[in-house]
Formats: sequence, C-alpha cells, structure tokens
Amino acid sequence: MNAMMKNSGVYKILLNILPVISILLFASLWQLASKNGGIIPTPLDVYRRAGRLLVKPVNNISLAGHIWASMKRVLMGLLAGCVVGIPFGLLIGWNQKCCDYLKPLFELVRPIPALAWIPLMTLWFGIGETSKTALIFTGTVMPVVINTYTGVRLIPQINIDVASVFGATEFQTIKEVVIPCSLSAIMAGVKTAMGTAWIIVLAAEMISANSGLGFMIIRGSDVADLPLVIFAMIIIGVIGAVLSWILTFAERKLCPWKVEIN
Amino acid sequence: MGNPNKIENEVAALREENKKRKIRTIVRGIISILTFLIFWQLLCTFGIVNDKVLASPIQVINAIFTKIVDPRPDGNILIVNILASFKLAMIGFFLALIAGLPLGLLMGWYRPVDKLLRPIFEMIRPLPPIAWIPIVIVLLGIGTVAKSFIIFFTTFVPIVINSYTGIRETNQVYINYAKTCGYSNWKIFCTVGIPSAMPLAFAGMVIALGNGWGTLIAAEMLASSSGLGYMILMGRNYGRIDTIIAGMLVIGLIGLGLTTTLRKVENRVLKWRLK
Amino acid sequence: MDTDFCRKEIMPMEGRNKLEIKKLSKVFINNDSFEVAIENVSLDVKENEFLVLLGPGACGKSVLLNIVSGLLKPTSGEVYIDEKLSQGVNSQIGFVFQNLGVMPWLSVRDNVAFPDKLHKVPKKKRYERAQKYIDLVGLNGFEKHYPRQLSGGMKQRVGIARAYASIPEILLMDEPFGQLDAQTRYSMQDEILKIWNQNKKTVIFVTNNIEEAVYLGDRIILFSARPMTVKGVYDLNDLKRPRDYTDSRFLDIRKEISNHTDLVIK
Repeated sequence: MNAMMKNSGVYKILLNILPVISILLFASLWQLASKNGGIIPTPLDVYRRAGRLLVKPVNNISLAGHIWASMKRVLMGLLAGCVVGIPFGLLIGWNQKCCDYLKPLFELVRPIPALAWIPLMTLWFGIGETSKTALIFTGTVMPVVINTYTGVRLIPQINIDVASVFGATEFQTIKEVVIPCSLSAIMAGVKTAMGTAWIIVLAAEMISANSGLGFMIIRGSDVADLPLVIFAMIIIGVIGAVLSWILTFAERKLCPWKVEIN
Repeated sequence: MGNPNKIENEVAALREENKKRKIRTIVRGIISILTFLIFWQLLCTFGIVNDKVLASPIQVINAIFTKIVDPRPDGNILIVNILASFKLAMIGFFLALIAGLPLGLLMGWYRPVDKLLRPIFEMIRPLPPIAWIPIVIVLLGIGTVAKSFIIFFTTFVPIVINSYTGIRETNQVYINYAKTCGYSNWKIFCTVGIPSAMPLAFAGMVIALGNGWGTLIAAEMLASSSGLGYMILMGRNYGRIDTIIAGMLVIGLIGLGLTTTLRKVENRVLKWRLK
Repeated sequence: MDTDFCRKEIMPMEGRNKLEIKKLSKVFINNDSFEVAIENVSLDVKENEFLVLLGPGACGKSVLLNIVSGLLKPTSGEVYIDEKLSQGVNSQIGFVFQNLGVMPWLSVRDNVAFPDKLHKVPKKKRYERAQKYIDLVGLNGFEKHYPRQLSGGMKQRVGIARAYASIPEILLMDEPFGQLDAQTRYSMQDEILKIWNQNKKTVIFVTNNIEEAVYLGDRIILFSARPMTVKGVYDLNDLKRPRDYTDSRFLDIRKEISNHTDLVIK
C-alpha cells in the first residue's frame, strides 16, 4: 500500500471497522463453540445468569457484597503494604548504611513468589481475614519497596545538590526533594502492587473463603454453574481496569509536573 | 609542576578508601544475614516460638536433604517435584514466547493488525490468570495441558505488552534513514524495528517468567498431584513446617535462577548494543 | 605560557579578599587510572567583584566551583571565606547551576521561595520576597507556571532569582548561559549585569566563551585544560562599562586572551 492510499479517508474508515469486526467474530465464535460443545454457556446464558444474580444472592451475600468483600481485602492489604513499604524503601534508598544492612535481608525474601506464602500464612493465621491481609501485605510490600528504592536512587544528583547548597538539613532534603522526586516511581510501584494484590485475593478466596469474587468462581465451578463463573470473571476484569484507571488518574493529580508521553 | 609524589599519595589514599567502603558493604550484609539466621535459630531452640509454628534453619536444611530421597509427605521426592514444576513453566513460557513475541511486534508495527486484535487482547488483559483456573479445569481437566495453558496466559500478556511498547518506541530517525535507503516496510520492520524492541521485550520476558513461576505454584496448589506448589500445600496439610519453608526456599531459588539465566541470555543477545 | 601581561599568582590588592583558594588540587579515581582535574590552583577573589573563570570546555572549572560551594571535597588545599577556613556546604554561597537545576515539581514562585522555605520563613513572607526577585529577573506574570512550560532562558532566570533570593554573600554561576541560543545569551548577559549593578555582590562566573568573559568580568582568570592550572590573570577594570563587543580595546584584549588559551582539546 503506498502512502497515498494510506492517507485516504476510505482507508481510515476501514481501519476503524476492524475492531468491530474482531469483536463480532469473537462473539460469534463463542456462540458457535457453546452450541457445539454443550459445556460452554452462551453469551445469552451469562447475561441471564447475571440478571438472576442481582435478585438471588450467592451464599446470602449480594453481588455488591461480594465485590466489596474482595475490594476491602485488597485495600487493607495494599494500605499495609504501602505504610510499611514506602518508608522502608525510602530508608534503604537514601541511607547507605541502612541499605548495606537491610537490603540483603530483603533480597533473601524477594524471590519467593507471593502465592507461595499461602500454605505458611494459612498455617500461621488460619483461614480468616488476618491470613488474607497478611498474604496481600507480603505481595504488595515487594513491588512497593523495590520501586520506592529505585525511585530514590534515580533522583538526579543536581536536585539534591540544590537543596544542599541552600542549606537544607537531611530531613528537609528528604521531605522537599526526595519524596516529590520519587513520587512517580512510588505510584508505579503501587500500581504493580495493586495488580499483585488482586491476584492474591482471588487465589486466597478460591482456596478458602465465604465471600468475595474468588469465592463466587469456586462456588460456581463446584456446582457446574459456568455462567456464574464467567460472569464473575467479567466483573473481575472490569474492576481491575477501573482500579488501574483510578491509580493513573491519581498519579496525574499528584504529579502535575510530569509531561505526558503519548 | 605540582608535586607528583603528593598526587600519588592522594590517589593511593583515595583508592584505599574506596576499597574499604566496598568491603564494609559486604561485611555488613554478611553480619545482617548471619544475625538473622542466628536469631531465627535461637527462637526455635529455646522454644520461644512453638515448633508447630516455626521450623529452625537447621530443620529446614534437614528437610531439604531428606526430601531428596524421602517421598513423604506428598508422595514425590524433591527432584520429581522440581522437574514437574519446571517442565510446566518452560512449556507455558515458550508457547507464550512463540505466540506473544511476534504478535506484540506485529501489533506494534502494523496498524491494521493492532486495530483487529487489540479489542480481544484488552478484554483478556485485566483478568488475573488465577481466575481462569476453574474454567480451564472444567474444559481441560486437571492435567498438564490445563496447567500449561494457565502459565501460557500469565506469561503471554507481559510479553505482548512489552514487545508492543518496545517496537513503538523505535527511534524515528533510524526508520527514516532506512526509508531513504529504499527498504520496504517489511525490511525496515526486520532490520530496525525488531532490534529496537528487544530490550523492552526482554524486560517483558523477565516479568513474564517471574509471574508465570508464581502462578504455577498457585495452580499446583489448586489442581495438581505433583510439583513444588503441591509439595508445600501437602506440607501444610500434614503440619510439616519444615517442608513448607524448605519448599518456599527451593521455589525462590529456582525462580531466581530462571530470571538470572534469562538476564544473562539477554546480555548475550543484546551485545550489539555496545557497538 | 607566560607573557608580560599576566602572572601565575595574583598579588592581593588592598581591601579584603572575600574568598581565597590556596593550593587546591582535585584528583578523580577511575577503576585502574586516575585523573588530575585540578592541580595546585591558588587565587583570590575581592569583595563585590565580578570575577570570571575562563577555560576550555571540561577543564575543571565546574569542579572548582563545586569545591568552593562545598559540594565536593578537595583532594588537597583549602578554601577560605572571609579569612576563615570553609568546610562543607556554606549557605552564604548562592549557586546557579549549569544544567538549570530548577526543580520541575515546583512552580516558579515555589522555586524562588525554596531557600526561604528551608529557613522556615512563613508562607506569606516567602512569597512576598520571592515576588521581588521574580520581578527583578523579569518573570512577572509567570509565578504559577511550572518549569516545563518555560523556555531555557526563562528557566535560567528562575535559577538566578532563586540564588539571589537566598541573599548570598558570594554568588557562583556555573556556565549559566551555556544551554541558551545566541540571542537569549546576549540579553541574559545584560540582565545579569543589570541585576549585579542593583545588588552588588561578589560573583564568580564560569564560562568557556572568551567574548562573554571580556564582556562581563572585572577580572578574568584564564585556566588551562586538564590538569587545570592558572594560566593567566587579566585585569579589565580599565575597560568601561557598558562594554561593546565591537570596541577596538575589547577586541585587543579578546585577541590576547585567545592567543593564550589551550585550544587543543585533550
């Protein structure tokens, strides 16, 4: 295709039809697969199940209740992870002595995947809310610390020099320079942590819970109620996207000086 | 012109200081880890912490060595578990690589491909792979295929995203230069686009491998009768803390080994960057 | 290297020396080698004079400035301010940085008020004072703007306003106009002289541009390439201000200096 054809209006219209085509293709494939397979529910089935769900709750908790249950766990764990992780990351990023002593310990624990903590945590804390929060905490604290640490290390020396030259104490330097400068790296860490937290919450709920979206999935698959499972998955996807958007929005608000890269 | 001896002295002094600083860092790290291990051991030895709750470092190491030959409590000796997990991780990862890398590169380069496949990709992306496990089990049963599929999903997403972003960031200057040399779009894609995308693509692979390894462990806890995830789950069921901690360490070590190897491969492949 | 016009070491004139550098050396170590950046430099700076440090690019002038401000430690030698030994960062010294150093997360007003904030001056007073200096550098109306919305010249003016707002006794300026285009450079040179005339301070100005040096300085100290030593001192007090780039005396001095510079980049 030469450049002239590429710029024509017709080409542009064709281009924008493609997404629509692919979605339609996907939907019809789904429909086809469900008709032939017999196991997979049709999109219509899922839609109907969603409707029933709003009327008749699962395990006596409404849909909103389940969503909130999962969200609450994520938020609590994330909060704990940030409250511990951000100061810790700042400390080892800024102070060489602390870094020498504490970073090796952190690096020992780091390679262990968050989900691998599940058996240990359930042994220590049982299967209640505490163990879930502890699990999410473990999963969120890692990316938060790593990103905060990197954020501090990457601060251009000149900004710190400016503070020194004008007579800042160490505390002032941290408050006025280190924290604003590393804020965007910290936000990136929180975003990653949010993703990890969500994964952990689902896994924890799938293994042992009485509420939450992960629980819904397991319940659905236990009783072969696949429309429920698929619906729960859709909700999870939507919420994940919304949370990510909220965090991006928050970052933009907190760091208005950053130039947007499109 | 200046004082050469004095300068030599100063240089020697500065070098000494640098060396001392490096040694100090290493020593501090060692002290830190040793203190931690000793503290841990003492907690257990003196029974301050219930031995149902925490196993001492010695017990953990013991567990590892025992597991090499002892199939209890989960039914497999250590190496069987390791291989089972490793095999699944590799299958899933390489499938995702073969599918995801070209896909991301093509999507990033050719707009029609992007427009066509993006919507589907964006629908799959926000879903945590864990959520796929029940459906996959229903459709494919509990087996190697199901688990590889889940690993595939986990590793697929970061690889596509990163190779997509990587090729989008190709320096326009190089593209323009290639155009003036008369290269076709396809040739530019191969000679300029793909190499430019490699650093980010590799970063995506490292993330993918890390995530995949973690998800594998979870998948094994939910639907497996072998593998390291299964091993620590069984450890929990039988109250064997030493097995749990031993398993976690092995999982961590192997995960670390995988990412380190990948990084070494990346350095080899990307050697041309220095030229 | 020697001519009858300049001397290696300056004889102190009457009046106090604001700053004295005695036998300063700085060595940087790499993995297997070392580099002597500054070798045995001594010089005096008089009170309220506009002193220019001139030398080829990357010869060590910035390093010297960083040592004077206290950001770097010398390998040997001392710096005396008001005849007292200076150690560490001295907040009586203002610094205008080469690569702008304006903090991107703060507005113009917050940047200029930054030194005051560090000294715990209350908000209202800080902003009042900052406004004065913002007006001084001609950035009236841009108080709430962020650095990314400003041109290079404007950002540099923020740096100058900020350095002035900290009421320093000595002002160090490290190639502040290096990143600017030619036009902006000329107007900034006039700006800085205007500001200096209104608020007399001791200024040490670093540049690698000979014309700029002759245009701005009361005295010029010429440096060699690395290892940096003093090559010559030029007293320009007889050249009346405002100076003219095309004046014949200006051109004579400029020629003399350029004959002595190290034109070879090692």
